[in-house]
Amino acid sequence: MGVTCVSQMPVAEGKSVQQTVELLTRKLEMLGAEKQGTFCVDCETYHTAASTLGSQGQTGKLMYVMHNSEYPLSCFALFENGPCLIADTNFDVLMVKLKGFFQSAKASKIETRGTRYQYCDFLVKVGTVTMGPSARGISVEVEYGPCVVASDCWSLLLEFLQSFLGSHTPGAPAVFGNRHDAVYGPADTMVQYMELFNKIRKQQQAAAFME
Amino acid sequence: MSGVRAVRISIESACEKQVHEVGLDGTETYLPPLSMSQNLARLAQRIDFSQGSGSEEEEAAGTEGDAQDWPGAGSSADQDDEEGVVKFQPSLWPWDSVRNNLRSALTEMCVLYDVLSIVRDKKFMTLDPVSQDALPPKQNPQTLQLISKKKSLAGAAQILLKGAERLTKSVTENQENKLQRDFNSELLRLRQHWKLRKVGDKILGDLSYRSAGSLFPHHGTFEVIKNTDLDLDKKIPEDYCPLDVQIPSDLEGSAYIKVSIQKQAPDIGDLGTVNLFKRPLPKSKPGSPHWQTKLEAAQNVLLCKEIFAQLSREAVQIKSQIPHIVVKNQIISQPFPNLQLSISLCHSSNDKKSQKSTTEKQCPEDHLYVLEHNLHLLIREFHKQTLSSIMMPHPASAPFGHKRMRLSGPQAFDKNEINSLQSSEGLLEKIIKQAKHIFLRSRAAATIDSLASRIEDPQIQAHWSNINDVYESSVKVLITSQGYEQICKSIQLQLNIGVEQIRVVHRDGRVITLSYQEQELQDFLLSQFVMDLKVAARLWFSFLVTNVKTFQKVMFYKITNGVIFVGHSKKFSGIKWKVETLFIKWSCLCLHLALVYYDFFQMFPKEVSRNFDMKCLQINYKYKEEITCKGVLFLKTIIRKCLFSTLKLSLYK
Repeated sequence: MGVTCVSQMPVAEGKSVQQTVELLTRKLEMLGAEKQGTFCVDCETYHTAASTLGSQGQTGKLMYVMHNSEYPLSCFALFENGPCLIADTNFDVLMVKLKGFFQSAKASKIETRGTRYQYCDFLVKVGTVTMGPSARGISVEVEYGPCVVASDCWSLLLEFLQSFLGSHTPGAPAVFGNRHDAVYGPADTMVQYMELFNKIRKQQQAAAFME
Repeated sequence: MSGVRAVRISIESACEKQVHEVGLDGTETYLPPLSMSQNLARLAQRIDFSQGSGSEEEEAAGTEGDAQDWPGAGSSADQDDEEGVVKFQPSLWPWDSVRNNLRSALTEMCVLYDVLSIVRDKKFMTLDPVSQDALPPKQNPQTLQLISKKKSLAGAAQILLKGAERLTKSVTENQENKLQRDFNSELLRLRQHWKLRKVGDKILGDLSYRSAGSLFPHHGTFEVIKNTDLDLDKKIPEDYCPLDVQIPSDLEGSAYIKVSIQKQAPDIGDLGTVNLFKRPLPKSKPGSPHWQTKLEAAQNVLLCKEIFAQLSREAVQIKSQIPHIVVKNQIISQPFPNLQLSISLCHSSNDKKSQKSTTEKQCPEDHLYVLEHNLHLLIREFHKQTLSSIMMPHPASAPFGHKRMRLSGPQAFDKNEINSLQSSEGLLEKIIKQAKHIFLRSRAAATIDSLASRIEDPQIQAHWSNINDVYESSVKVLITSQGYEQICKSIQLQLNIGVEQIRVVHRDGRVITLSYQEQELQDFLLSQFVMDLKVAARLWFSFLVTNVKTFQKVMFYKITNGVIFVGHSKKFSGIKWKVETLFIKWSCLCLHLALVYYDFFQMFPKEVSRNFDMKCLQINYKYKEEITCKGVLFLKTIIRKCLFSTLKLSLYK
């Protein structure tokens, strides 16, 4: 597990999501990366059931249950600003049992699928974010394997991102800022994905609202 | 009692006088009572001096007589009569007897006194002790003790002997019973080795490896039956056992797994007809009962079946480039081209039919015992793994599986880590790898040996390491020339023989990977031979040829052949020639060069230069066989001489 940066690639002007993805992948292949299969990250949203809410009327918290094909036997459950739980795949079954406490939000499943590229110590995943049948955006994840401390290799990651993302290079993710010298873990990656999905969802809502 | 008048009481003595006579008119005449003195006299008469004073009978009689005295005058009259009778002897008064007695007593006393006084003087009378019988002589107390002890010991010994007799009797009885072997004691012995349980009225046992971790679905139960066909009239046979075991019919006989490597693939028609040669049963421990050998053999059959089932399952499931063939009881795979590995389950039952058929001679030489042993070890490892704490869930509610696999979820293992946990290799793959390695190793050894025997000079030495892995062995190869070991130290190769390739590590750090082809290794080694010669020849060429005297001293070879002509040159440093002829070429070359050089030197001393190049020479190989060894020797003598001279040498130009 190395330091990972998840960012969104805005869709190029006048092109569809697919075409932008193709552009990116072509760039990567020219760089010399080798294709190593596919990946998938998905996310389901649950909110606390109304029955468990106190009479004070506090808003229910949202819980996200995510899976990552990079960690095939694990399941991640996280709250927005709260802790992240890494569990066995039996957790999904457990959620069914907890139907009384957590209810799934409608049409909330969001996922990103794409190809996985290996370039020496870097692992690049370019995926299409889809909600239902429609593609909503592009997610780019870059992992630098050898390092586990975020602050040490952020500059290297940034350079690499610049080499193929060009002007769309993101800034340092928020998770990096929290714990500079702490060891980076898969939970942080999932937090980044959650933020990305939320952003895309808001964009979607805003776009729908605007329309 | 004031009211009552006093009554006069008169007292009269009760003593009445004795009636003497009663007159006719009823008057009684009384005897006058005895006076005091008369009474005393009467009493004195009654004293009997002949009797002791302690005689109570007399006193009793006397008192009786006294008691009777008062009531009846008649009795006293009788006594008086008796006294009268006594008195009747010429005696007069009652004190007479008393006086006589006293007198006689006095007389006697005086006599006694006189005698004693005379005896005291010892003049006329002495006291003579009466001779008594001598006392029995006092016996020696020790011998008495000895005899008494002996007697008592004899008594104790008797008791002990009786007890010992009883014990020996019981021991012999026990031994006799042992030979007879009670069913229950035999059953106890069986229980010490095997697991038994009672089902209804049958006793069943378990000889499978299920409790040791096996997952083979065979039940492996055997039945214990009582051996009742014993004829009590006849003598009990020595190997009689009251207990017999009945093993399942498919586990009868003996089995083993035959692993062999053959060079050429046999015809397809020969498949499935593996020669089962009946291996002699391993010697059972002396004294182990027959049921033990039977059960052990059945267990071995079961294990072999499990091994073969596992191997055949993997052979079918696992995809490989060259598919494995599973026919009846044989699995055939091709680890290398032109090489065939066959694993077969040889199960021979104890029937007489099969014994006849297996009398044909089989050749067991290609059976690799090592691999068979390894198969057994591998399956046992697999068994242990299923039972190990890594697999068994702790806590008990955790799911089955490898311990780290259970953690892979919560610890977010990625694919690499998960793959490293799962043992991806099955039994068959492991065995094939081991077989490949064994074959490669034996072939490398054969190659080195053949080269060593074929080429006398330089010499090749191979030092095989004792400690090897199942998949890797190593050997250190040294190529040296006799006499020049110090110079030719550079040719040291470390060969690491792996599963499919041989990795060569040169002394100077170069790493070369050779494939499994035999020819590659041979060519490579020959090239190293040439290197050695090259070094030697270079050495020869590298020194200043100014020392003529040396040449003169060693010159003994006459030129009898050799057409030397100028022609196309072959550069000294190229090893592009074919290796075999290169060697011979070199030896001849060196010899001829030495000769030529000498001749040239003799003829054209001025033209001898330091860097003598071979551009102008080519060689004639007419007598190449004869001169090969001698020539090289000659060359070496020269070199040796030069070495010991004071010339500077540079080895590697």
